[in-house]
This record gives sequence, C-alpha cells and structure tokens, in this order.
Amino acid sequence: MVMACRIINKRRHMGLQQLSSFAGTGRTFLGPLKSSKFIVDAECHESVLISSTVRLLESLDLTSAVGQLLNEAVQAQNNTYRTGTSTLLFLIGAWSSAAEECLHLGVPISLVVSVMSEGLNSCIEEVASLQVPVHNVFDHIDSTETFPGLETFSVSLCPFLQIPSDTGLQKERDLKDVASPSLTIYNLSGIPVKSSKLFRPQAEVEADKNKVQNPQTLKNSLLAGNRYRKSVLIHSRHFNRTDNNQWINKQDGFLEQHGAAPPSTYRCNDFVELEMGLSHGDQSSMKLVDEAVRLQCQNAGMQQGNWTMPFGFDISRIFTCRLPGVPETFSCVCPGFITVVSISNTTMIKELQNQPNRIILIEGDLTENYRHPGFNKATNINTLLESMKVQQDSSEELWTNYVLQVLIKFNVNLVLVQGNVSEHLIEKCIHSKRLVLGSVHSSVMQAFAEASGAVQVTYITQVNENCVGNGVSVAFWRSIPSDVIDRINIITIVIKTEGINLVTVVLTSPVTAQMQSKEDRFWTCAYRLYYALKEQKVFLGGGAVEFLCLSHLQTLAEQSLSKRNHVCSGWLHNTSSWLASSLALYRSTVLKCLANGWHKYLSALIYNTASCSSEFEASTVIQQHLQNATDSGSPSSYILNEYSKLNSGIFNSGISNKLEQIPRVYDVVIPKIEAWRRALDLVLLVLQTDSEIITGLGHTQLNSQETEGFLFL
Amino acid sequence: MSRLEAKKPSLCKSEPLTNERVRATLCVLKGILTSSYGPSGRLKQVHNGLGGCVCTTSQSSALLSNLPVTHPILKILTTSMQNHVSCFSDCGLFMAILCCNLIENVQRLGLTPTTVIKLNQHLLRLCTSYLKSESCACRVLVDFSSPQRLLCLVRSIVTSKPACMLTREETDHISALVLRAFLLTIPENAKDRLILGKSIIVPLKGQRVLDSTVFPGILIEVSEVQLMKILPIKKSDAFKVALFCASLSGDLSDTGDGTVVVSSGVSLENAVLEQLLNLGRQLVSDHVDLVMCQKVIHPSLKQFLSVHRVIAVDRVGVALMEPLSKVTGTQPIGSLGSISPSSYGSVKDLCPAKFGFKHFLHLIPNEATICSLLLCNRNDTAWDELKLTCQTALHVLQLTIKEPYVLLGGGCTETHLAAYIRHKTCNEPESILKDDGCTQTELQLITEAFCSALESVAGSLEHDGGEVLTDMKYGHFWSAQAESPSVVHWPDLLSRCGCGLHNSQEELRWSFLKTTQHPFAPQTCLPHEATGSANNLTLDCFTAKLSGLQVAVETANLILDLSYIIEDKN
Repeated sequence: MVMACRIINKRRHMGLQQLSSFAGTGRTFLGPLKSSKFIVDAECHESVLISSTVRLLESLDLTSAVGQLLNEAVQAQNNTYRTGTSTLLFLIGAWSSAAEECLHLGVPISLVVSVMSEGLNSCIEEVASLQVPVHNVFDHIDSTETFPGLETFSVSLCPFLQIPSDTGLQKERDLKDVASPSLTIYNLSGIPVKSSKLFRPQAEVEADKNKVQNPQTLKNSLLAGNRYRKSVLIHSRHFNRTDNNQWINKQDGFLEQHGAAPPSTYRCNDFVELEMGLSHGDQSSMKLVDEAVRLQCQNAGMQQGNWTMPFGFDISRIFTCRLPGVPETFSCVCPGFITVVSISNTTMIKELQNQPNRIILIEGDLTENYRHPGFNKATNINTLLESMKVQQDSSEELWTNYVLQVLIKFNVNLVLVQGNVSEHLIEKCIHSKRLVLGSVHSSVMQAFAEASGAVQVTYITQVNENCVGNGVSVAFWRSIPSDVIDRINIITIVIKTEGINLVTVVLTSPVTAQMQSKEDRFWTCAYRLYYALKEQKVFLGGGAVEFLCLSHLQTLAEQSLSKRNHVCSGWLHNTSSWLASSLALYRSTVLKCLANGWHKYLSALIYNTASCSSEFEASTVIQQHLQNATDSGSPSSYILNEYSKLNSGIFNSGISNKLEQIPRVYDVVIPKIEAWRRALDLVLLVLQTDSEIITGLGHTQLNSQETEGFLFL
Repeated sequence: MSRLEAKKPSLCKSEPLTNERVRATLCVLKGILTSSYGPSGRLKQVHNGLGGCVCTTSQSSALLSNLPVTHPILKILTTSMQNHVSCFSDCGLFMAILCCNLIENVQRLGLTPTTVIKLNQHLLRLCTSYLKSESCACRVLVDFSSPQRLLCLVRSIVTSKPACMLTREETDHISALVLRAFLLTIPENAKDRLILGKSIIVPLKGQRVLDSTVFPGILIEVSEVQLMKILPIKKSDAFKVALFCASLSGDLSDTGDGTVVVSSGVSLENAVLEQLLNLGRQLVSDHVDLVMCQKVIHPSLKQFLSVHRVIAVDRVGVALMEPLSKVTGTQPIGSLGSISPSSYGSVKDLCPAKFGFKHFLHLIPNEATICSLLLCNRNDTAWDELKLTCQTALHVLQLTIKEPYVLLGGGCTETHLAAYIRHKTCNEPESILKDDGCTQTELQLITEAFCSALESVAGSLEHDGGEVLTDMKYGHFWSAQAESPSVVHWPDLLSRCGCGLHNSQEELRWSFLKTTQHPFAPQTCLPHEATGSANNLTLDCFTAKLSGLQVAVETANLILDLSYIIEDKN
C-alpha cells in the first residue's frame, strides 16, 4: 500500500479551477427560465433530458476529490431544502473565480478566508431588511380568489376551485403547447413568466408607447415592462407575435397610472400573492401546489369542525402520481390515493367499488421468503422429508393459501404493501376479488393507518382484528377521458377513506422524458411554499437581495479603503497574528472580489431571463442601478421603493383580470442563505486545501502522466 | 504433490537514516504535517482515488488514520503519534513535527547517537521539570469556579481546526456547547471519587451549525413510523426499563459449521419466535414500560409489546449501550432465557423530540451525568471534522480536570521553553556535564538543535510568508508581515504575542527566530494578575502537550538509534 500525495496549490490553484469549471455547466439553470440540456452517453447512446442542477450532477462524472465535494454540497442542500441548488452551484463558480483573483493579487489565504466569510455574514445581516413577514395567509383561503395558473380539467373534483372564466388567451396558448409534439421547453409554456426581475434593460417598444412625462415615469414603466418578456417567444416556435403584442397593449394602459406611492410596510397576507411570488414563473406547478394546499386546508377544516387549530401545510402528506403519455392539461390534484393498476384488475375493481372495504397495511415485502431487516437466515438447515409422504404443494403454494385464508378470515379486500408482492399471490387475489398493491409510498401507508385505523404490520401472521382498517373506498378514477387513457392501456383508481389526510397530485406529460423534471419542478414549488409558511417570512425576490448584497459589499469595500487605519482585527480568529494588523490592507480587495461574484450572479440571472441580449448589457444595467442606489443614500430603501412602484401599478390599475397582475417575486429565506453559506464554505474549503492525499494506491495504478507531481510515501 | 520453496533471505540495511530515499520521504511527511499545523494550517483532501468519500482535514488523527506508510522509520513515527493521539487526543501534530525537526537537526551535527540520546534526555528532563515547577511562566492554573479559562481552552482547540468551517459566531456557540456538555457530565454530589459521565455526539448533518444544542439525557433516533406507534406515551413517575444486547430478531443463533437437519413440519423460526413471545410475556408480567434492544426486535414481539402498552425501541446501536446501561441502571440482557429482576432499571421521563427531519426519543434519567450533544454542520466533510474536534475538546477538558493547568498556546510555550533551555545550559552546564562525560561543545550543539527544533514548531504556525520573532523579555512568540522596511518601529507593526498575553506596547526587544539566538533569561513566575485580566488567551492542554514533548523526544531518540533494518521478505 502506498500513499501518494500531490501538492495542488503551486502557482495556480487547481482545486479552485476545477470548481469553477464544474460550476460553469449549470449556469443556464439560474433564474426562472431554465434551458434544458440533453446529456448523451457517448458509449451506449442513451440520453437524458435534464433541467435542474441536481439531475445535472447526477449525470456528470464527478470522481475527482473536488467534484465529489461539490456533489456532496449540492446533495446536502437538496436533501435538506429541495431548493436553492442552482444558486449554490452558480455561486460556487463565481466565488471560486473570486478567490483565485484574490490569490493573483497576492492576498494571503487566511485573509481571503476570514474577510470573505465575514463579508458574507455582513450581507446576511443586511438583507434581513428585505424580509417580508408572512402572516395569517390562510385566513382568507376559502374565499373565492384562487391561483390563476393553468386551467385544468380536474375542476369537477375540486368544486370550490373557480377558475376565472376570462382566461381565453391563456387557455389557447396552453393547448397549443400541449398539442405541440416536440420537446418544447415546458417552462416556456406560453405563460408570460411573471417573475418580474427588479432590474430591467431598456426596452424601446415600451418607452415609445408610454407617453413619457418625466424620467420617473419612464423608469417605472421600464421596471414593470419586462413581465411580458418578448424574448420568451424567441425560444418557442409555437407562439406568434401577435399574442405578445396584445399583452403589450393591455399593459401600457395602466403603466402610465403609476404614481409615486410611498413605500408601504411590506407584508404578505394574501395566499395567492405569496404563491405567485414563489412560483418563479412556473405557474403550472404552483397551481398544483395551490390546489393541494387548499384540499389539505379544507380537509383539516372538516376534521376539526372549524378553524380552531391554525392550519399548517403538511408536505409529507402530498403524493405524486406520474402518468406519462397523457397531455399536460390533465395534471390535477385530488384527495385520496390515486394509482395506476394493470388492466387485468378491471372486473375486480368493479366489484369493490360499491362497498366499504377492509384494509391491511404491510410494511415489508409480501413474499414467502421475505424476513424483516436484521434477521439472518441460517443457510445450513435442511428439512428432512417424512419418509413416504409426497409433498403435494410447493411451500410457495402453501404460503399463498395461508395468506388468502387470513384475508378471507378477516374479510380484507385491500392490501397495501410498501415493498414487493409475490406475483403468484397477486393473481390468486384477483380471482378472489382482492386488490393487493405493492411499492406503496410510506407517507401513503401512514395516511391510511391514521384514517382507517389499520396498524402497519411486517408479516401476514401478525394480522389480527386490531390491525384491520375499515371503510376504504375503491373506485375508478375517471378524470381523464377514457379515450385518452385507453390509448396508453392502463387504468387509474382512487382509494380513499373518510377524512384521509392525503392528497395526490397527478402529473401528466405527453413526453416521458419530461416526467422527471416535471415532478422535480412540482416539488421545488411545494418546498418553496412549505419553507415560506414554516419560517413565516420571505425575501423580496427577483434579485433584490442579491443586489443589496452587491451594493452593501461595495459600500463596505469603499469604507475600508477610506479608513485604512481602522483596526478591524475582530474579523480574524487568530487575533495575535500579523494577519490581523494587515487586514485593513487587503480588506477592500477581497470584498470587491466577493462583490464581483454577486455581480456575475445578477448578470447571469438577467441574461438568462432573456431581458438582455448579452451579459455585458446586463452588467451595464446593474451598474446603472448600483449608481442609483448609492446616490439614494440607502440602498435598501431604494430597492423597497422600486418594489412599491412596481406594485402600485396593480392597485391603481383597476383591471380585474387576475392574470394581468404583476405580482411581487418572493424567495425563501433560510434555504437561500444556507445555499450562499454552503457555496462559500466549499470554496473556502478548497481554497485552504494545499494537497491531495490518495491512499491505497500502488505506483502502477497511477498512469505515467498522472505520476508527475505525485510524491510517494 | 506439495512443493517446497526455498525461503528468501532477509534483507538487511545499515544506517537507514543516511539513505537518500528515506530522507526524502521523511521530508514529504514533515511537509504534510507542518503545512497542516495551527489555525491557519492548510487542509488536506484524503481519499482513495476510486470514488470513496473525501475527507478534508488538518487534524493529525484523521490524517494519519488512513495513511498507510511503507518505510519502517515512518511507521515508527506515525505509530507513536497515533498512540499519543489515542491517549490524549490533542497535540498530535506538535509531537510529530517536533520529532521530525529533532531528527533533521541532529543529523546535521554528525555526533554519535549515544551522546545525542543522552543529551536529548537531559534536555527533556529539564523541560519537564520546568513545566511542572511553580516557577514556570508558561503554565496557568485553571480556576474551575469561572468558565472563562476553560472556554478559552475549548475555543483555542476549535479555532485550530480550520476544516470545521466555522464563523466566529459559530465558534463561540460550539465552544460554549462543548463546555456545557462537559459540565453536564460532572456529577452534582461527588464524594471522594469523581466519576465523570459521558457526552454523546448525535449527528444532524445538513443543518446550520447554530442549530446545534446540548441536552441532558440520551437521544435515541427512531423512525417516524415507529414513533407514531409509540405515541402517545402514558405519563408516569418512572419508567421501568429492560435493555437487551442480544438480538431479538428471531434468527437462529449461530448454527455452527455443517448442516442441521430437521424433520418437515418443524419450524425452527416459529420455535424461536415462541421463545421470544415467552420473553415478552415475562416482560409484561414484570411491568416493564420500556424495552430497548441494541439490535433488531422481531416485529411480532414488538406488536405483542405494544398491545400491552410496552414501548419497544430497537436498533439502538452499540455506541449507546454503555451510556444507556449507566443512565438507567440496567444490566444489558444477553440471553433469551428468563430475566433476573435485578437487570431492570428505570428512567425518569420519556418524550418524543424532532430536530431537522429526524425524530428522536428523549430519555431523561434520574441522575444525569450523561448528555447528548446534537451537532450540526453544513456538509459531511466539515461535520466529520467538527465531530472529531468536539471529541478532542471534551477529552482535553477531562484531562484538565485531572491536572488543573493549561499552557500558553500560539507558539509562546515553545519559544519560551527554548529560551529557558538555552539560558540554563549556557549558565549551568556543569549540572549536565558532570555525570555524562560529554564535552561542553557537544552540549552546546545539541542544545541548539533541540531549541531550534522547538522554535521551528512554533514557526510552523505561520503559513502566509510572515516573519516570526521572539521577544527578549518573556521569550514569547510574535509574528509580523514579511518584507517590512528595514527600519521599523516594531511596537507599531506587532500587535500581540501568539497566546495574546502581552502586547507590543510594553517596552520589549525582538529578534528573528531564524537568526542565532543569544541566551537570555526569560522572565519566570507568571504573575497571577497578568493572566487574570486577559480574557482572550490562546491556551493548550497541559497534559497532552507535556506528553507530546516526551513522546517526540523519545521517538526521535529511537529513530536516531536505529542502525539496521532487517526485513523479512517471505
């Protein structure tokens, strides 16, 4: 066994360079408009369509040490928060270049580490001013106002959902999109993505149409204008420009009415407004989330009689069911457990559907050979057959019969199994009109346990009267027209009981390749809303917080330039080192590099949302706003002011159509801040690393090119 | 047909240290160790190159535990370092770097090993007796009535591990938690003997560091499904507890080699299950409220117990067994036979708890010297480092309660000690020379080698190309920016010494550590009020550092004494 050791920090920092090149692959995922990627395996010619950072990293070869750390960081963020991974990946790239820049400028590594981490800390404190409290959003949830997203055909099951009738234009576009056979990128599903970015480029068309009275109005209109980003249409072959122009025409009707309203206290009490803000342009997913929450809320209300208990959004009781091959418009949300079964079950389901059924829940597999985890089967036991008696049935047959006997004895018609189920048993059960479903998600099991009174057991032998649940209904789920469903040769059923706290979100897509990303996007929206409600606060989104960070760091950098002698040794852990006293010398350099990272982030964001034709143009826009913010004296009130101008348009417009509101964009607080911290942590971790130690390798295992730079112990 | 192979002759190498390759590898190892030393030390990515997990660390224990080294000399060095770390947790790098420095310095001199070893031992004795004496000026008494000094000690340990990736606020939070966790392990009314409890570190990866907390009692992780089955927990003054270390999963205990033949119709599994259920009946009739098992409990037994309102928790894990048995006063039960009533214990209260996405059962014992430190960090590699750091800090606190002293850190102890030894051998060489038969020159040379080895350990704290200095009054360690103008006003350029005790505004004279040092008498007897006022000192564990010093000198002596390496090539 030989240990090899490589110095990776001579002249250029290899680790940081690797980080920025890995991170570069995900830059198009930043912002509400994500461009999808095809990843093609050169060997077996398989390809995947991906549109999120997590799926991207799953498909990349990240076996190098730095790659693994990067993957670990993204996975950790995803597992904890399910959101913020694109931000994380981008900032890793931006800040590793920033750290490298600092090294080029001769800043000692320890100083880069301490100034950067304290700089980010200071940013995090600063952006607290852009938090918007979220209170009592459920107070009016039962009022008629609903989420104005995609219309679906599932309204019959959700009678309280009143889709606005005047969504003609909207519907038309959606149907067009649905009908399109190509891989039109779903995010561009025709909805003008309303995640209004705060900082807008000049768009001449609006400027012309607005009768400009003073520069103030001009700016207002520019800020608001981008909500119908014309470049959305550039990506899609299926939308024509006339539609777009209609929007513009409708738009400028109220843009002129902007008054210079004073910045009001920010507060978000309206559920729909919150959802709109958190949808980040993905309204079709957020609409499903909205329906799911309303169903849960309604259910909770029925359970408790009235609203005595505050309602909390329980994300663990939402379940997704994928139906590939079904047009997108059929995506919907329904109470209970919806699942797909094979067509051979049809007659049995017909039998079951008009009666209350008894249910049992099996935690493991339902096969003869299954034993609970931790059970070690002895391998050296032989069963001696009794002399002449001929074994009639195999042991499998005996077991199956036993299971059936138990089901008959307790009059159970429905068995939900978390693991696999023996094929033979399933067949037998079909004959005796009993439904056995395998691979059922644990949250579904838990919901049925609560609602039907069943107790989850591991073995069929454990079943007794106390373990059996009652009153479960099974029915065909016919929200999708039979001609559509027959084409794909499946049947869908819904299983539920009185008051079950379970909502199934049925996700449909005509293109199987899109199924995964559709599901990912749904969960992203759901978790965003979940965290917003849990934390009871959101950030003003659309780049506002990042802009404040940028402007704050620039101010800090300038301050430390002017106050050279100012002792700020409190920033270092090790206050006695010379580094503490020379901190002032390098502080502004490091802060500027860190700020550059934010600048890159914002320009990529603006460029990705296609409001600028180049990153350079985006950068100019940011510069302009930075200047304005500095001139205004207080960057945070500048941002708040811009926001309130944006919103005053809604309040003064008097236009009733909900689809035409410009919603504020919101963002989750802690997941976002944690993504920043994780990004900087990883960069600083790699920055401080000077060698890579590979254990357990012989000389021979490193090929000759690699051996260069390795030292052996 | 068997074949006899002739044995290969053993390989014998003389004077191993003169070998060029040995020197080179020793130099690489030293490079790895010195570059990792201290709060601004550089990190190492340790991995197996085949896609295994990457460990980013600068701690000796993590670094060397996965380092297979080949050469016997390196093995001696790494083994003694690992032994030291396993006993004292801290000061592993200090020990190894000092050892490398000593070998390197002495080799240049070309003296005979016997002389070197004898003199090294003398110097070591001088060091230890000084460090243990009342007049020692780099040793501080720990006052357990105020937490300040202990907090400084913990903070010094936490800040010296940069791979934990903590901000200042987080460092303070973790330091305070570790200290609180330690204090919770001290029994309230100890009589003549003090038996410390234990702090159990519970992982909660992915959460914010500031979400870390400490609880008295034990947290057992349970799945949500399991917790739902347990709830609601009936209220009681005390819960009767049975703790099993035997598996209750219902599998056949070791059936040995060969085959077991059973006649058909006999089910061994059912027989075992019946035995388990009998056990369950006994537990129920003994009015046990809580059954815990290190391994798995058979689902049927769990069901039986839950029907009888007995809480069953399985997969507790081996790490929790000892604390659980201690806290509840149970004897872990190792067989499925009948249970003696003396095996049962009790806990005061039980309650469910949720942190992050994890569910726990919180056991609150009657008399608590056990606590759970719920440790969070953003990513796996930083969490592992933080866990190791907290364990080190807890261990160091235990060592400190035995010997209530700490040493000044930040390199000051090393430079001060070097100044003391230089002064001592220069002024009183007779005491050493009289019984050793060495010449004064030899003594001078070895002293210089020894002292500069100590000083370059302190110098290894500097990784950013700064200058390292020592003052001529206290012999403390100072650092300054490199390439300072030749005529500088030192008090303005320097701020505080390494440990933070002295500041540059006192009238001091400095000299570079690299240059030849002129012996001077460092001020001894640390005035009590001097340390009393300073509340942000960098401190080191006394016991660990003293042992590190001894192990380093002894290992160096051992390696210098090697004249042959005989390798069995078979």
